[in-house]
Amino acid sequence: MSSGDSLDRRSFLTAAGSAAAAATLAGCSGDGGDGGGTEGGDDTGSDGGDGGSDQTLVYARGDHPESYDPQQSTSGEVAKVTNQVFDTLIQFAAGSGGQLEDALATDYTLEGSTATLTLREGVTFHNGEEFTASDFKATWQRFTQSDYEYYLGDDTRSGYGPFTLGDWIESVDASQDYELTIELTQQFAPFLRNLAMFASAVLSEAQIESLGDSQADLGDEPAGTGAFQFDTLDNPNERIRLTANNDYWGDGPNVGTVIFKTITENSTRVQDVINGASHITDNLDSSGFQRAEESETATLLRKDGINHGYMAMNMARFEPFRDQQVRQAIAHAVNTEAIVNQIYQGFATQASQPLPPDVLGHNDDLDPYPTDKEQAQSMLEEAGYGDGFEFELATFSNPRGYNPSPVNTANQVKSDLEEIGLTVNINQFSNFGPYLDYTSAGKHDACFLGWYTDNADPDNFLYVLLDPQVEMDAVPDGQDWVSFDTDGYNTLNVSGWANTDYMELVREAQRTYAEGDRETMYEEASQIAYDESPWVFLDYAETLRAVNETVVEDSYTISSVGGPYLNTVELQ
Amino acid sequence: MNWTQFLFRLIEPVVPPRFVIKRLLLLIPVLFGVASVVFAILHLAPGDPAIIIAGQRASAEQLEQIRVELGLRRPLWEQYLSFLWDAARFDFGQSYSISRGNSVRSVISDRLPITLELAIYGQAAGILLGLPLGIISAVKQDSLTDHVTRIGALTGISVPIFWSGPLLILLFSTYLDVFPTSGRIASTLFLPDTWTLFGRELPLTGMITVDTILLGNTEAFLSAAHHLFLPAVVIGVYSTALISRMMRSSMLEVIRQDYIRTARAKGQGAKITLMKHGFRNALIPVVTVIGIQFGTLLGGAVLTETVFGINGMGLTIVTAIGVSDYPVVQGTVLTFALLFTLVNLFVDVTYSYLDPRIQQ
Repeated sequence: MSSGDSLDRRSFLTAAGSAAAAATLAGCSGDGGDGGGTEGGDDTGSDGGDGGSDQTLVYARGDHPESYDPQQSTSGEVAKVTNQVFDTLIQFAAGSGGQLEDALATDYTLEGSTATLTLREGVTFHNGEEFTASDFKATWQRFTQSDYEYYLGDDTRSGYGPFTLGDWIESVDASQDYELTIELTQQFAPFLRNLAMFASAVLSEAQIESLGDSQADLGDEPAGTGAFQFDTLDNPNERIRLTANNDYWGDGPNVGTVIFKTITENSTRVQDVINGASHITDNLDSSGFQRAEESETATLLRKDGINHGYMAMNMARFEPFRDQQVRQAIAHAVNTEAIVNQIYQGFATQASQPLPPDVLGHNDDLDPYPTDKEQAQSMLEEAGYGDGFEFELATFSNPRGYNPSPVNTANQVKSDLEEIGLTVNINQFSNFGPYLDYTSAGKHDACFLGWYTDNADPDNFLYVLLDPQVEMDAVPDGQDWVSFDTDGYNTLNVSGWANTDYMELVREAQRTYAEGDRETMYEEASQIAYDESPWVFLDYAETLRAVNETVVEDSYTISSVGGPYLNTVELQ
Repeated sequence: MNWTQFLFRLIEPVVPPRFVIKRLLLLIPVLFGVASVVFAILHLAPGDPAIIIAGQRASAEQLEQIRVELGLRRPLWEQYLSFLWDAARFDFGQSYSISRGNSVRSVISDRLPITLELAIYGQAAGILLGLPLGIISAVKQDSLTDHVTRIGALTGISVPIFWSGPLLILLFSTYLDVFPTSGRIASTLFLPDTWTLFGRELPLTGMITVDTILLGNTEAFLSAAHHLFLPAVVIGVYSTALISRMMRSSMLEVIRQDYIRTARAKGQGAKITLMKHGFRNALIPVVTVIGIQFGTLLGGAVLTETVFGINGMGLTIVTAIGVSDYPVVQGTVLTFALLFTLVNLFVDVTYSYLDPRIQQ
């Protein structure tokens, strides 16, 4: 070893010590902190518009997508932001159960297969362009027309493309600036509701054209006509800043800035609202719900949700489920009251039929199946299954709004069915994506699933989830199920159920515009679904929000579809 | 002279370039192995990328179009070769879900500085607390202080982050309300994308405390430091415990050496002897542990970031696995593997510099 080497090593060790000392100083200076106080309603860094005050509203949520293009996502987290930035032609009224009201269209009619809309004049996009009919046409073309120069692309657009507009619109006439004539491929009663979905938000034609081949980038700087304009997308810190749109055509905005911040942990997010660092939060679990309810600085807002959590019995795969009595016996054996009150801690109600109460066609004459193990046992015996049988119950693991505790629910079902001699093998999936692959391929015997409405239309439950969407003659005579590989099969129908009486009713209702007639048809369809029990109807979950006391009472309206309506929110 | 020659000339007095080249070449089979395992696991795992992209409402026809576009209908060996070629160029394609429309490369460049910053602060906490504790414990061997320190160190090594993290949040955020529950900066403070140096606009580093200093924004710096304090402590606990134990045993060994006794016999003060002769020599094995520990801290970031909701590489991996965003999982796992091997390489080089016998 040379002396030079030795000296170098000594210098190195000295340097290491110095670095440690420097780090100490840095550590000390960091301890000063801002005391957490600046996270509240401060307006630091805000350059909000004059339309609202200079106050900042902070909305805490559990996830942060990194792109905000309403045509590239089916995520509710994206919709929370894009609903502030964009408008639709027609919208769901704030605080309603899905009632429609004017938005960018001031008048609208649907007759036969033609929708005619009169558009609002004097509305400008955040990029300064005036809103006209051609903006909607460009929006539709970008989303669904592969021959359009600025088509978003099959591997980029979301599944809402065909589902919302593409399957139903034949052509759009935008020859007049403030009149839109939309020709449909067929009579389709839910069409106006589809126009209110977040995926139908009207984009700026000028922005679409300026993006050229980079349509996928629209989500980085979306420009709509909404109450707030997109200001900063801070992906590393999972935040978004919106500023007030001074020229907004509707109510508000009443705050200068809205910040969406992300806190993944449910209980931490609620605590943030209780501490006043955030003003509103959503997706509460049972502990968060209780904590908000007991808090003196926050309020818990509740509203009946338009959703349904259910257990589907797959008739296409598991033979005993093809017997109606077996399905009804299981419906009688599963104690949904205990699931709702004990496992979901009372923030859901027992379901009686596929349609939740606020939706047209909900049949008030139907009550949840009463839990009656003796009757269930005798029904099984009558069906020839007195000795019981064994089946698989597939479930996801992570809480979802309509089933906040899937594994506990599965265990409740298992123990309930054990009492009538059935053996349930729980097949637990840790990820929801692979779980959906599994159920949509019909590989399960029974499974848990649920649905949040897209447009609050009965068709969005009864046709989308329980009609196999195959040709009528593809259902063999005397059989009320079809296999998953039938041509055109709707894989969202995870029970394989194919009742032709039911199918005729919901298909006819889809083409019927007279509301009274539609209602009657859906009530009848609900009765059939109730009697046939392809699902065990578990629950309708409530929509819950924790709101800090600094939010002026009644200025924030909780809604079960659309929203959040932040344009009306006022802070003290 | 090109840049490689320049680099070799620079390191030559410290460590032989051949040693470094040999270690660098060893990285290739390691990374190839990791890449192959990642590819195999993700292609064997259930989950259809087409459904992830288009969502639950997509038709069968649309899903099939997407599978074709993504090349998922090509033979597996073809997909594997194509993946290896792209991985060699650090191109993992576009994110399916967590950053739709953006390249995985940009996701990593956004997240990596966040994790590195956390690991650096964790390491700093480990060094700043671990070294003095180890020295005190050694000097006051078998005293009450020593026992308390040793029990503390043992606890620190034993307590997992997924327990200590929520506990600290509960204590300091929920009950005492002195530290924020999550995030890296106050939610109302936003930083620009660039900073200015001599009239030139330069990109920021992505390390928030560094960036706030570069921008000269004291309020933002204090907020960032305040937010990072708890996560750094949590991630640094294990490091502190390990370093203090290592420092203690190394120090105990050194202070019994003859040269320490000689220095004291010559009349040198106890403190000077301890710091000048004892501390420096005892530090050599500890430096190695500190280096290796940095790699472990990157792993600890997965848990710490998840608990504190910090959007770094760790949380990204967890989220990407949860939503089956395969390109992001592949990119982030390989980046972690690359970082880990590079850190180990650096430790080896440092150690061979401190103890040249290792080069033999």
